Amino acid sequence: MPVIDVDPDELRELTGQRLDDEDLLADLFELGVEYEGTAEDGAFKLEFEPDRLDWLSVEGLARALRYNYGEARGVYVPDTNDAEWTIEVVDTPPERPYVTGAVVRGLDLSTTALASLIQLQEKLHATMGRARGKGAIGVHDLTMLKGAPVTGRDDGRGKSLTYTSMDPDDERFVPLESNAEFTPREVVERHHIGTEYADLVTDLPRYPAIYDDIGLFSFPPVVNGRRTEVTPDSRDLLVEMTGTNQWTIDRMLNVVCYALSARGGQIERVAVQYDATAPGEHAGDTLDRPNLETKQKTVAHDRVESVLGRTFDQETVVDCLERSGLSVADTDDNPDSYEVSIPPYRVDVLHPIDVIDDIGRAYGFNDLGPRYPDVSTVGGRHERSRLEDVTRETLVGLGFEDLLNFHLTSEPETFERMRLSPEDDAVGGGRPVSIGEPYSAAYTIVRTWALPSLVQVLENNTHRSYPQHLAEVGMVAARDETENTGVAEHRTVAGVLADPEASYEDARARLQALVRAFGAGLETPPTAHPSFIDGRSGSVVVDGESAGIVGELHPAVLVEHDLELPVAAFEFRLDAVQ
Amino acid sequence: MQLPEAQVAVLRAADAQEDRPITEIAAETSLKPETATGAAFALEEAGLVAVTEEPTERLALTAEGRRYVEAGLPEIRLHEAAREADETGAAIGAVVDAAGLDGDAVDIALANFARKGYGEIERGEVRPASDADPDEDTEAAALAALAGDEEPSEGPFDRLVERGLVTRREETRRLVALTDEGVTALMGGVEAADRVDRLTPELLTSGEWRDVDFAEYNVAAEAPAVQTGRKHPLRQMADRVKNVFVGMGFEEMQGPAVDADFWIHDCLFMPQDHPARTHWDRFALSEPESIDELPPALVERVRTAHRDGVGPDGEGYRSPWDEAFAARLALRGHTTSLTARHLAGEALGDLEPPQRWFSVQKAYRNDELDATHLLEFYQIEGWVMAEELSVRDLMGTFTEFYRQFGITDLEFKPTYNPYTEPSFELFGRHPETGERIEIGNSGLFRPEMLEPLGVEADVMAWGLALERLMMLATGAEDIRDVHGTLVDLEYLRTEEVLY
Repeated sequence: MPVIDVDPDELRELTGQRLDDEDLLADLFELGVEYEGTAEDGAFKLEFEPDRLDWLSVEGLARALRYNYGEARGVYVPDTNDAEWTIEVVDTPPERPYVTGAVVRGLDLSTTALASLIQLQEKLHATMGRARGKGAIGVHDLTMLKGAPVTGRDDGRGKSLTYTSMDPDDERFVPLESNAEFTPREVVERHHIGTEYADLVTDLPRYPAIYDDIGLFSFPPVVNGRRTEVTPDSRDLLVEMTGTNQWTIDRMLNVVCYALSARGGQIERVAVQYDATAPGEHAGDTLDRPNLETKQKTVAHDRVESVLGRTFDQETVVDCLERSGLSVADTDDNPDSYEVSIPPYRVDVLHPIDVIDDIGRAYGFNDLGPRYPDVSTVGGRHERSRLEDVTRETLVGLGFEDLLNFHLTSEPETFERMRLSPEDDAVGGGRPVSIGEPYSAAYTIVRTWALPSLVQVLENNTHRSYPQHLAEVGMVAARDETENTGVAEHRTVAGVLADPEASYEDARARLQALVRAFGAGLETPPTAHPSFIDGRSGSVVVDGESAGIVGELHPAVLVEHDLELPVAAFEFRLDAVQ
Repeated sequence: MQLPEAQVAVLRAADAQEDRPITEIAAETSLKPETATGAAFALEEAGLVAVTEEPTERLALTAEGRRYVEAGLPEIRLHEAAREADETGAAIGAVVDAAGLDGDAVDIALANFARKGYGEIERGEVRPASDADPDEDTEAAALAALAGDEEPSEGPFDRLVERGLVTRREETRRLVALTDEGVTALMGGVEAADRVDRLTPELLTSGEWRDVDFAEYNVAAEAPAVQTGRKHPLRQMADRVKNVFVGMGFEEMQGPAVDADFWIHDCLFMPQDHPARTHWDRFALSEPESIDELPPALVERVRTAHRDGVGPDGEGYRSPWDEAFAARLALRGHTTSLTARHLAGEALGDLEPPQRWFSVQKAYRNDELDATHLLEFYQIEGWVMAEELSVRDLMGTFTEFYRQFGITDLEFKPTYNPYTEPSFELFGRHPETGERIEIGNSGLFRPEMLEPLGVEADVMAWGLALERLMMLATGAEDIRDVHGTLVDLEYLRTEEVLY
């Protein structure tokens, strides 16, 4: 979850409230913002959920609090000036077809505003932008840009930029945080920002590019050019966003525009002019951006009451809505529901239930009070859970220490170290279920049998006193084409007796006690298994069905695990005793 | 007749004509007084002796009395010092010093000096009586006698008790006398039975156990360690959680650990480009890769919900939705996949409200192993379905659930989950330390999740890691010690049981 640093004094100033830290944090908690500690410079570290991206800046958070305190009410939409700039879209990479933008003028970035803007940009990239894949933001000093004549406009007015594509080797520019010229390919190979985002573009035949009349100034989604770098002295900004989804980048743009507007910036629209041949769903369209239209949701009054669990009068609901920054159309005509307007920076409202959640936050969920639901049901354990449990109880009664091992393990532990091979037609053999991209070589497959886990526990506890009688009832799995998932999962019962006196008979004795406890018959005809001593291993046959193995572990297996005493062991499928 | 050794000794020492005190018999037979007493009662039960009890009074020196036995009574010491100084009188201060008296002893000496006629005090001078003889002091003699072995029968004991030098104690004296049967038994011959170490089956079946004497053990000593079988502590915690659920009317779910992303994520209205689905900590399988079959009608409903949302003014995600991606297999990252299968009717057929279900099962996460993060952990999952449920019902249920584990003062922080709204992170008060701790995540399932699954009622759910609850309940700090092949058997053998 994103954590941002917020200066509490700046927040108080933007909110216009003189609250002490404790009250401020309590109010934020009720809104869903968690205090994670204080940074060295005194800033609050606040953790946000990724639904309220509009809160990812001190400006957005202050707006939320002002609403909550009733200092502001209803939807606010900033005024915008007419577009002077046009972004022409032509020959873009089909993998990244969309662009949007806005101009913001008259800012003072000399204070903390610039840091706040950079932080907001980073958090938007990490969340909605999906690490810049779905949407990437570029912010530029507008005065450093030179507009070209707008295509198809003969009055000579307006300035244009072009979002297009470029040959990775046939262009040069000076990227941010560098003094040298690079080709785009050199940027993704060598530049410290470029290498971080290289995966987003290296597979593309042509890279995304934005030009002004002077040349290339932005290489989205990787890095901007140094020429247009924003500094504390910048007053007028161009904000551009490129991505794989127009709606997503338009919303990200709205969040940034609201934050800059709260800092006193004047928003000026930008025309996004898609060429008729441009890839994507807007070919031939001209979009007027930012799109600050509100959207509407109809919220039923009785649903508000049923979700929040109490009755409300309409005034309370309307008050809560307005203190959430939402507007409500006149309710006189329709007393049963609310026509609610949602401001353009909200990305999380998909359904009326999201508006009800806002009402709850504004009212204060913790003020509703708990109530035990008047619903009667009958509880019970699953049959398999009871079977596992009684097996475990029986093993414990036989003196076994109950273990709980991981289901994940590696092929060497499961096979080689047990002298077994996946090809063997023996307990533990068979093709294992494998992890695609394992983090650790120790955990690459789901175990096919549990005895290796028990032998590992013995291996890790040779310094502890003997006898060590260990058992586990747990899951194993193997490939099985007849299953819908291609995987057969079983519950297995495994036990080891590590003891200077341990013999086959000791394992057989406990096994037969366990099997007979279920009223089942046990036979153990001789069988061969690579992990066991020949002539001292038997197949576990329960009521005529072959279900496992019992015997004395092979000395080579013992030595492999640094064990210096005999181990008798058994393992069988639990469903055999059902 | 064979009797245990001690009984033989007591029987032989007892007399038919005279009641003898047990203490005397014990001294004579070299038995411990309690052994002799036990033997006497056993003999009485067999009718061989009669035991009578007699209350007696015992006198004993107090600490002060014992001091005077050593140093002499203060009045005598004053008398002797006075005589040595001058028989016609000496200054009181000098005499007291010479007698080595100080503090309370001075007053005691002066008070008794005159009373017992050792002399007079006049005008600050001590005049000893010349005819007084300390050797005839009966109080000194009685004290000396009490200090000796014999208890004197006569003496100024009332006075000594009054002076706090002697105490009186009531005691019961037991006296033993042979009965006629005892005499007969002795005449018939009595011998000591063998001392035996172990009670054997032979002793029991032959009846010989009646005649043997069991060697005494050191019953206070520590015994050797015993090998115990016991349930794993985390399993004990799981059992406790399950009991709480069942007690609250919840039924238990089971289902596959390897499952299609469709059940793990898509049915939960998790967009396919959600970071949790693309992040490499997801445990995707390379073999096998995909599920064979998903229910086609449900797939279409889920696809529509992701694309268009549900309801008249619902909206979907602006994210691609691909059935092949949904069919990819993974080890479940949460057990909410079981909930999805149950709600869809896939596990047990359609469920009509009301319902309460839970599971305590493993979930998997492809991450680095450290003190608080395991690749596998047990997720506690619970959900309730009813015609109508509110966030207050949710709060009431969780308050009750966590109270069972001593966690109180619940607070609900609004949060975001793709599949619940409203959603809450749960915070509670730690049972030991009192600090505020995060104890789970919860919410009401979104309509975009429930509608495609065909659920027309409200459903609320919550989850947390069993290991987390265990750490809170036991104070364990490193869960690698608890779960997996790195477990230390010493921990399993010595960890306190949970109930």
